[in-house]
Order: sequence, then structure tokens, then C-alpha cells
Amino acid sequence: MVNEKNDKYETHEYDVLIIGAGGAGLRAAIEALAEGVRVAVVSKSLLGKAHTVMAEGGIAAAMANVDKADSWRTHFRDTMRGGKLLNNWRMAQLHAQEAPDRVRELEQWGALFDRTADGDILQRAFGGHSFKRLCHVGDRTGLEMIRTLQDRGVTMGFDVFMECTIIRLLKDGNRITGAFGYWREQGRFVIIKAKAVVMATGGIGKAYRVTSNSWEYTGDGMALAYEAGAELQDMEFVQFHPTGMVWPPGVQGILVTEAVRGEGGTLRNKLGERFMEKYDPKRMELSTRDVVARSIYTEVREGRGSEHGGAFLDISHKPPEYVKTKLPSMYHQFKELADVDITKGPMEVGPTCHYMMGGIRVEAETAQASIPGLFAAGEAAAGLHGANRLGGNSLSDLLVFGRRAGQAAAEYAKKAVSANVDPAQVAEAEREMLAPFDRGDGENPYSVHRDLQEVMQNLVGIFRIEEDMLKALAELEKLKQRAAHVRVEGSRLFNPGWHLSRDLKSMLMVSEAVAHSALARKESRGAHSRIDFPNLEEQVWGRQHNVISCEGNQMKLQQVPVKPMPDDLKQILAEDK
Amino acid sequence: MAKTVILRIKRQENPQANSRWEEFELTWKPGMNVISAMMEIAANPVTRDGRPTTAITYDSNCLEEVCGSCAMLINGRARMACSALVDKLDQPVRVEPFSKFPVIRDLSVDRSVLFENLKRVKAWVPVDGTYDLGPGPRVYPTEQEQAYPISRCISCCCCMEACPQFNENTGFVGAATIAQVRLFNQHPTGKALKHERLQALMGDGGIQECGFAQNCVEVCPKDIPLTKAISDTGREVVKQALKDFFRG
Repeated sequence: MVNEKNDKYETHEYDVLIIGAGGAGLRAAIEALAEGVRVAVVSKSLLGKAHTVMAEGGIAAAMANVDKADSWRTHFRDTMRGGKLLNNWRMAQLHAQEAPDRVRELEQWGALFDRTADGDILQRAFGGHSFKRLCHVGDRTGLEMIRTLQDRGVTMGFDVFMECTIIRLLKDGNRITGAFGYWREQGRFVIIKAKAVVMATGGIGKAYRVTSNSWEYTGDGMALAYEAGAELQDMEFVQFHPTGMVWPPGVQGILVTEAVRGEGGTLRNKLGERFMEKYDPKRMELSTRDVVARSIYTEVREGRGSEHGGAFLDISHKPPEYVKTKLPSMYHQFKELADVDITKGPMEVGPTCHYMMGGIRVEAETAQASIPGLFAAGEAAAGLHGANRLGGNSLSDLLVFGRRAGQAAAEYAKKAVSANVDPAQVAEAEREMLAPFDRGDGENPYSVHRDLQEVMQNLVGIFRIEEDMLKALAELEKLKQRAAHVRVEGSRLFNPGWHLSRDLKSMLMVSEAVAHSALARKESRGAHSRIDFPNLEEQVWGRQHNVISCEGNQMKLQQVPVKPMPDDLKQILAEDK
Repeated sequence: MAKTVILRIKRQENPQANSRWEEFELTWKPGMNVISAMMEIAANPVTRDGRPTTAITYDSNCLEEVCGSCAMLINGRARMACSALVDKLDQPVRVEPFSKFPVIRDLSVDRSVLFENLKRVKAWVPVDGTYDLGPGPRVYPTEQEQAYPISRCISCCCCMEACPQFNENTGFVGAATIAQVRLFNQHPTGKALKHERLQALMGDGGIQECGFAQNCVEVCPKDIPLTKAISDTGREVVKQALKDFFRG
């Protein structure tokens, strides 16, 4: 690619720049390459190690290999119902219609799947899906997906900027002209000029103390898009998975798969009571994610939690061989990471911040954000999942909308003319980035991050109430002040404290959007549970999205009506299974 | 005094710099692993003798032994740091970067040689376009079960680090790459490139460099049957070589 020798910065030029190398980013890159444009992918970590590798359950696609009655219509209906109808219905429709093609394509590219006796791709049942729908390979579907997409991308020839963090989107007027970032290894800055940018940066789990997300999940894409003038939507909807590890401390938040409960695992409090009897006597441990998460949380809050603030999940009443055969990865995980033998004793589990339903507001067909030249896909984008995501729908989301974003970005780039980079924007971003080294005194970024996690965990967590969220907003103001004055020791060479000082800015921005949106939505819907407004409120809140944008330097929140659904889709929703 | 753990960590400022050791003493916590210990050091980077230092550089991501990022030498053994429980390690815990890959900084090394090797053996399926190609070929569970164990590779490179033959003199591609050849040569569409992959494993750095030390299978965190993959592939390579000879 063109390597312009700028006197100060390493500079590259592409047609399409993709930020993030998880499932959505890699799928977007493959599609853009197929359109014949020049493509670069930027990744904070190493290629092939993105957060997608941790996905276990599978890819939801109505292929009807196992349950012949399945169809895109049922998948659409399940997704909408799971999302409490706040989903972008057009996205839900495209997703349900296109997911099977995306799975077949992945298979053709070399992905391995578990098979039926007839040699088709095997599909498994999952919460909220009416039929057996999740295409999977053991419990490591995400890894298989990333490996396949990565192999494909490498053969097609994209350029990868590994261990590189983007800190600013560059603009000419309202239009995107590229991005400015730094190599994590050397601390050197880099300009990547591009006609179109795709955000595929994932979520915001690291703003919470207990999360199943990796260190990369600091909301970068949402924050960069917001700063560049794009709108964010439905930011109050943060999914907490009911069972993450709570002990030992080094592994807190790591996911304990739903399959443990599926195989007969029971949940008890410290008094030995099987507490789900109180909350959902019919479905017990196999109730929906939001209900189980809230139940465990309530037990802990009322003083019946385990020693380390969780509940006891026990599968040890089953024969050891059964546990090892049915739950090999969980057996391995607890053995390796916690030195706990789950065939002999209980696991200590509690809710863990898992997924962000909200994100960059995009058009369904093109994944284009509200500013020209910016696209978003996967967890970074909002819309498909509404108020609550079904398991399995995220991997299919990555494939369907990653492809659409890559295609639309390439088409956009073909028509666009290249623009110049504004040196003032670059200089400002550089100054801000380097400031933590120059401060004579100031706080360590780690202490600010720790306090942010406490604020979000305790005040904008599973249960929300107005007074807590007002307090959270006041605390976030203080944290922003503190973050603006952090001091970093050492040099720019691979300095994790320095990296965190920048990630903090993104996390604080996104956290503020979450708190504002959560405070505004005066109802309980899906993953958003208000103690002071415990019911669904269809008349007002069933009909509007919270939309966040930046005005001047202020965060602006407004309500935007949900688009009316066409009659044919309404009819599908009304049908019973 | 509270129970403590001691870590001796090999540090290196940049690829050219000399390495040095630093010792850290941390308050013991139940279930501590090497990564969580290094996270604590990052939040308060002070050595055992009270000297302020910098946070340690290392690659990591999932912290549940799935992504393959945090491979390093711990008490001399190539393994994943996230699953290295401190309680199960002799103290002081010696933590070093892989010795056969160029050090970038501290424990972070350049493992791009694996990508280069995978390109050499064409570890992918050759199909055109990104359009829907219709249903793929039927694969029966028995075939899938053969491929599954090899497909678990997390590209951590432990097998390469541990292999006595993996070095600059031999240029050996290593066990992970050979296992991927085995995987793609079994794939219904991937088979189309079978002969090219086998040919890529002939000659210098190819499969004959394997000395059957079996260290690879010993250290693999995913228990991949690497030695079996190597011997199965070895037979295929010999058959291909004979075919090429008689055709030649």
C-alpha cells in the first residue's frame, strides 16, 4: 500500500479501514476485499485472538437441519420477542433470512461443525429459540469462526495492523477521512487515511468490575464514533449473564456456560435453599438469563449470598464421568483456573457483565452510521437485539452485518474521493495522548479505572433505581476530572498504564451514555430492570429509542420513535409457533 | 506477616536490549495465576527491594485458555500463563519469554513465523467469492470426529518452543503447522490442495526435520494428538514424494 513519507507521522492510505479484528471486522474485511478495494484491519491485540474466540454456544441460523419446521420467520419472531420488540425489525429480518447462507459460506471456507447422522451441520437448542438452531463445534464455535475468517482474509490479502490502537477518527467537514492511532509496541503514532471506516470494536464490559469480557472491551468504537458526531442508541441495555465465576479473584467474571444448568445443575444460597423456587418455580434454574441473574443478585443483596458474593451452582450430584463427558470445558476451566473439581463440589457463581445491546445507531441495510463514511457492525452497533440478546444471535450478527458493512463501505469508498488529513486534528489528539507523561503529579490510571468499575457495578448494574443513577452520574463527573489528570510513568514503549489512560476516556464516555439512558428509561424492559419502575410501559417506552449524541461538548439524550413495522412482519409476530 | 508469593520475571526493554531479572513479592491470594499476579504488579509496579519499575509487557486476551495469547516459559516450561496457578508452582516462580521467538519487549514475542508457515502449507480452503455456494458436502460424524481434535489448535506456539528441532538451523515448520495440514487435507473441499500442502512439507524445514522427541504433545495445552498428526502426515508425504518421482 502507499506509504507516504510524512515528515512527522507514519502514514498509510486505504479505501476501507476496519477497526477491530473479531468476527464482524474480519467478515467485513473479506467482503470489502471481494469488492476489489484496498483494505486494512486494525486490531488492539494479535490477529486471531479477538474476543470472538471466547464464544462457546454456536451460531443461530434457521437451517432446519434438525428441526425441519424452523424457518427465518420463527427466527425473526424469537429474536424480536427476546428483544422485547425494541429491535430494529428490518435488521432482525435480514439477520434471520441471511444467517443460513453465512453459515454455509463459513463451512465452505473450511470451518468445522458438529454433524448430524446424515452429515448435515448439527444444531442445538438454546434459551429463547423455538427450535434447535445453533450451529456449533463442541463448545468452541467462536474460535473456529475466527480461525476460518482469518485464514480466508490472509489468503485474500488484507493488511493487518496488529497491536495498534485508534484514538481518533479524522474528518473533513462531516465526512470521515481516516483514523489516527498508535502502535502499542513502540508508542509511535500512525495515520491511516481511508475513504470509509467500519467500526467492529465490540462492547464495554471492562467498565464493570465483574465481566466475562476481555481487556479489549473498553467501548473504543462507540466513543470514537460519538466524538466524531455519530449517534448511539439504546445504551441502557447491558446484558448480565447469570453465571460467571466469582472466585478466586484472578478469574472473577469468567463465564460458566448455561449448559451446566441445562445438565441439571442446581443453584443454592448459603442457607442451602434452592432459591429459584421463589422466583420462577416453573422453570427453576432454566429460567431466562435476566430472571436468573436478578434472582442471584437479590439473594446476595439480602444477605444470603456465598462468602464471595455469589450463589452455589452444583452439578456434583451427577456421576463424575457424566459431568466430564457433558461439560468437558467447564470441568477443564474450573480445574485449570480455580483448582476446583466440579464433580466433587459446587462452583461459586454470580452475574457477570456480558454483552452490550446498545451501540452505534446504524441503517439496517448498509450498517452505515449517522455520519457519511462511517459504518458499524457486531456488538459495536445497536439495533438487532433490542432490549435483550438471545444466545447464538451474536455470532450470526457478526457474519450477517459484518458482510453488509464491508460491502457498503467498499461501495461508498469507490464513489468517494480521497480527502486530506487535517493536521490540527492529529496534533490535538497527539497532545492529549501524550499529556499523562508531562504531568508532574497526578493519579495512577489504575485507581481511576477501579473506581469506575465500582460505580458502574454498584450503581448502574443489574437493578437500577433513580437515586443510584443520579449518584453514578455525579461520580462519573468526578472520575472524568480525575481521568483528565492521570499521570503515567515510564516510556511510550509498550506501556500498559499509558494504554489504560486512553481506554479510560472511552470507558467513561460510554459509561455516561449508559447511565443517562438508563436514568431516562422509566420502565423495566429486557436487560434494563428498574426497581422504581418494575413494569413494561408500552405506551411511551415501547415506542421509542434513547439516542445519544454530542452537542458542543455536552452529551445530548433524545427520544426517537421506533419505526412502524410493516404488516407482513406484524403478522409473523402474531403467529404462534 | 501475610503469606506472599515471589515472581522472578525476565525483562527486556526492546528487541536489541540486554535482558535482566526483576523480583516481585506479592501478597498471596487464593487461586492466583501468573496473569493475575502480573496485573497486580501493573497497578503498583514496585520490585521486591522497593524500587519503582514499569508494568510488565505481555500478550493476553481471554484469560480462560482459549485464545492462545499468553504463552510463555514458566519455571522453564512452555505454557499458558492464565492457567498457571501460583499455588502449583515452585517458588520463586520464574517467568520468561519464549526463547525461540524474537523478543519484542519483556514477555511479548513475535510469533508471526506461525502465520508464515501456515501460508507456506496453504492452510486454507480454496474457493472463490463470498457468495452463497449452496449446501456444503456432507460430512459424517465419524469424519468430523477425526478432524475435531486437531481443530482445537489455539496457535499459542508452545509446541514449537518445546521442540528441540525448531530452531534457525533446521527451519522446521513445527508441529502446529503439520497438524493444520492434516486438518485441511481431510476437509472435503480443502482436499483439492492436498498434494501442494504435502509438497510444501518436503525438503528443508519440512516434516523430515521432526526428531520424534514428543515434547510437542507433552506441552500442548489443548492435548492435540500432534505426534499422531505428524506420523499420519509423514506417511502421506512419502506417498506423495513417490508419486511425484514416478510422474517426474
